[in-house]
Amino acid sequence: MFNEGRRTVARGALGLLAAGAALMAGRQEARAQTVDELIKKGKLTVAIDTTTPPYASLDNGMQPQGYDIDLARLIGKSLGMAVEFVTVNSPGRIPALLTNRADMVVSIFSITPERAQQVAFSIPYAGQSSVLIAPKSRSIQEFKDLSGLKVAVTRGAMEDIVLTNQARTTPGIGILRFDDYPSTAQAMLSGQVDAMGGGDYGDIYLKKSASGDEFEQKFALHAFHFGVGIRRGNPDLLHWLNTFIYFNKNNGALNELSMKWRKMPLIDLPTF
Amino acid sequence: MYEFQFGPILARMPTVLQGAALTLEFAAASTCIGLLLAVLLAIGRVFGPRPVAWLVTGYVELIRNTPLLVQLYIVFFALPKAGLRLDSNQAAIVALSANLAAYAAEIIRAGLESVPRGQVEAGLSLGLRRGRIIRHVVLAPAIRAIYPALGSQFVLQILGSSLVSAIAAEELTAVSNNVMMETFRNFEVFILAGGLYLAMVLLFRGFFSATGRVLFRWAA
Repeated sequence: MFNEGRRTVARGALGLLAAGAALMAGRQEARAQTVDELIKKGKLTVAIDTTTPPYASLDNGMQPQGYDIDLARLIGKSLGMAVEFVTVNSPGRIPALLTNRADMVVSIFSITPERAQQVAFSIPYAGQSSVLIAPKSRSIQEFKDLSGLKVAVTRGAMEDIVLTNQARTTPGIGILRFDDYPSTAQAMLSGQVDAMGGGDYGDIYLKKSASGDEFEQKFALHAFHFGVGIRRGNPDLLHWLNTFIYFNKNNGALNELSMKWRKMPLIDLPTF
Repeated sequence: MYEFQFGPILARMPTVLQGAALTLEFAAASTCIGLLLAVLLAIGRVFGPRPVAWLVTGYVELIRNTPLLVQLYIVFFALPKAGLRLDSNQAAIVALSANLAAYAAEIIRAGLESVPRGQVEAGLSLGLRRGRIIRHVVLAPAIRAIYPALGSQFVLQILGSSLVSAIAAEELTAVSNNVMMETFRNFEVFILAGGLYLAMVLLFRGFFSATGRVLFRWAA
C-alpha cells in the first residue's frame, strides 16, 4: 500500500537533490506554459509513478492503468490532444516538472505547502484518508471507545501521529507500532490488537485474507488530497485545470473514477 | 554541513532510558530462562537415550538455522492461531529464550565433552563418589571452560533484542525509531542509541570478566 504521509519528508529531500543535479547538468531551464502554448505543442506529457495501485500501475500488457491514468487521459481529451506518459518515481515528480520532462504530474501528489514552494497545485481531484479499522463485532465510534484497547499502527505513518496524539488525552489507548503495513495488518488478523490504523482502502489487504470480511472502517483519522502539479508561475494553465476539475466533479466523472478504482464514492473535496 | 542538535533528543531521554531498561530486561530474562533450558537440552543430548538426543539435535538445528526475526513472527503472529496469545513483551522473551537455549545448549555440550575421560577415571581411582565426580571433576572445569562464551551470549542477547521492535515491543531500538519519527533528528538518535548499546555491552563485559576472575580463582 502506498503511504503518502510517511515518505513525504525523505522523498522531498531526495527530490530536491535530484532536481538540483538535473538542473546543474544543463537541462532546459524550467519555464512557464500557457494553455495556448500547450495546445500549439499538441501533446500533453504527464509524469506518473506506476507503482501506486489503484492510482497507477502496469497492466498485463505493461500499459499504465489506474485512477490517475484515467484522469490524465480525461485532461488530454478535454484539451483535445494525445497524452504521453513519462514514468517517474515518487521523489522524481517535482524534478520532472522543473526540468520540463513533463507538463503535468498526475500521481497521487499530496498537496503540501512545502511542495507548493516548488510547484503549483490544482484544487484536489481525489483524496484518501487514514482510517480506524476494527472487527465488525466491536462497537467503536470515536476515540474514547478505544480506551482499554490495543491499536496497531505503522510507525511514523499519519495514523501513528494522529493516534499517538490522541492517546495523550484519552488514557488507556495501547498503541503497538510496527515497521511496515503488512505487519500492522497481520497484527489485526492474528487478533494481537483490537483495532488498527490504515488507509481508507487499506482493508483491501485484510479482505485478501480468509477472515478479511470480519473487518470494517470505523472512522476517519486524517485526510490527504491529491492535486495535479504543474510548474509555478502559470496562472493561465492552473486556472484551466481548476475549471476542469470543478466541471468533472460536478458532472460525476470523478465519482465514476473513484467507484471504478477505489470501489467507493468520491470523498468530500475541499477547494482553495 | 550537517548541524547536530541533541536538544530534542535529550528532552525525550526518560523514554529512551525506559527503552534501554526494557532491553536489559529482555536480555536478562531470556538468558536466565534460556540457560535453564539449555542445561536440560545439553544433558539430554550428551547423557540422554538416543531418541532424546535426536530430538534435541533437531531443535538445536531448527533454531540455529532459521532467522530470529522469523522466530519472533511465528511466536507473535502465528501462535495466536494455535490458541497461544502472548503480548509483545512475552512473545519477545519466549522467542529470545528459545533462541538462546539452542546456542547455549551447544556451548554447554562442548563444555561437558571438554572434560577428558582420564580426569573422571582419575577421580574414580581416588575413590571419589559419583556425585562428587560430577560436581568437582566434570561440572566445575566445564563451567570454567564455557563461562566466557556464555557471557558473550548475554551480550548477544542485548544486541539481538533490537529485533523485537518488529513485533511492537518498545525496547531501545523501537523507542529510538519513535523518537526519530517525532524529531527527524535521525543521526543524533542513532548516535545516542548506539552509545547506549555500547555502554551496556561494555559494562556487562567488564562485570562478567571481573566475576569470572573471582569465581575461577582456583583455576590459576
